[in-house]
Amino acid sequence: MRDNLLINLALIFIPLSLTSIGGGAAIIAGAQVQTVEVYRWISEPEFVHLFAISRAAPGPGTMLATAVGWEVAGWSGALVATLALFLPSSLLCYIVFRATNAHREKPWHRIMREGLAPVGTGLIMAGTISLFRISGGGLLAAVTACASCLLLYLVPRFPVVAVLLLGGLAAIATATFSG
Amino acid sequence: MRPIPSRLTGQRAGLGFLCLICFKVGLLSFGGGLSGWFYREFVQQHGLVDDEDFATSLAIAQMLPGANVVNLIICLGEQLRGSIGSLVCLASFLVGPFFSVLALYALFDRFSGFALLAIFFNGIAFAAIGMLMMTCIQGARRAIRFPPFAIVATVTAILVGILQWPLIPVVLALAPISIFLAWKRDRDA
Repeated sequence: MRDNLLINLALIFIPLSLTSIGGGAAIIAGAQVQTVEVYRWISEPEFVHLFAISRAAPGPGTMLATAVGWEVAGWSGALVATLALFLPSSLLCYIVFRATNAHREKPWHRIMREGLAPVGTGLIMAGTISLFRISGGGLLAAVTACASCLLLYLVPRFPVVAVLLLGGLAAIATATFSG
Repeated sequence: MRPIPSRLTGQRAGLGFLCLICFKVGLLSFGGGLSGWFYREFVQQHGLVDDEDFATSLAIAQMLPGANVVNLIICLGEQLRGSIGSLVCLASFLVGPFFSVLALYALFDRFSGFALLAIFFNGIAFAAIGMLMMTCIQGARRAIRFPPFAIVATVTAILVGILQWPLIPVVLALAPISIFLAWKRDRDA
């Protein structure tokens, strides 16, 4: 049973690893569907919570996999999910980099890069939509998200940790004053 | 700013040194912007690679699947010390965040009796969604310059985000179409 759990974790994150075009945030929508809806390991609020933890911690946003793995199967789950998410894409990147770095000026290389970028953007949009839908935060979530987005848009150098902190404080303030 | 000469052929960065830099960035890089951290460390502070090597590595890192910053250090590690360099950079970079996430999780668990903490973390999640929106806006501004790209991004977002189609087949179907569009634009230009 436990082995199955670890194998399933790996089977979820390995394909996501290889399709996470556009960066770590591209896996959010896929990870949510698999862990919340298909396998029902975690509830929607728990998923949002794990997302918050992975974003508040240092490192790539993709550490979401680590948190999910831990929630599902403890230490071994965290390790398996992390490796399943990072190793396949890293190996692919290593191979492609070695094979194509010499051709980086060639047109086909640029065409590949340009063509894949919009898919990546679409995936991150999808992740944003998924998170917003399951966050259940309603108006407060929308206002906080738009405010932090606006802040980062207007002041690109604003420290991200401070943005997250402000978001947390805003939620507490709202809860306190609305009784 | 004075261009920094590439020292790739000259001195070699020690594995221990790479390990130290990657570990440090991994542990201290709260809240994203990690590529910027590595630019500071590898190019500006220590001159391990030059501007152009860094830019190409970043372009490849962004094109391929996987966390951009992880792909970036794979490329930088390979340039500096070959396969062992990639491996050392990857491992030393991830070890800090790995334990930080679990520590944060444990911390939250321990104080989960405080209702305000749950609300606080919800607020963090909302603000982090705003950060993702920012990334979307940046990507959308690039995509909008070529309307077919804007359509590809929108269709991807609708299929995966709203209709909740499985992500992997969608990517496998749309990526070739998008590359074809890029190729066609290039040919017609």
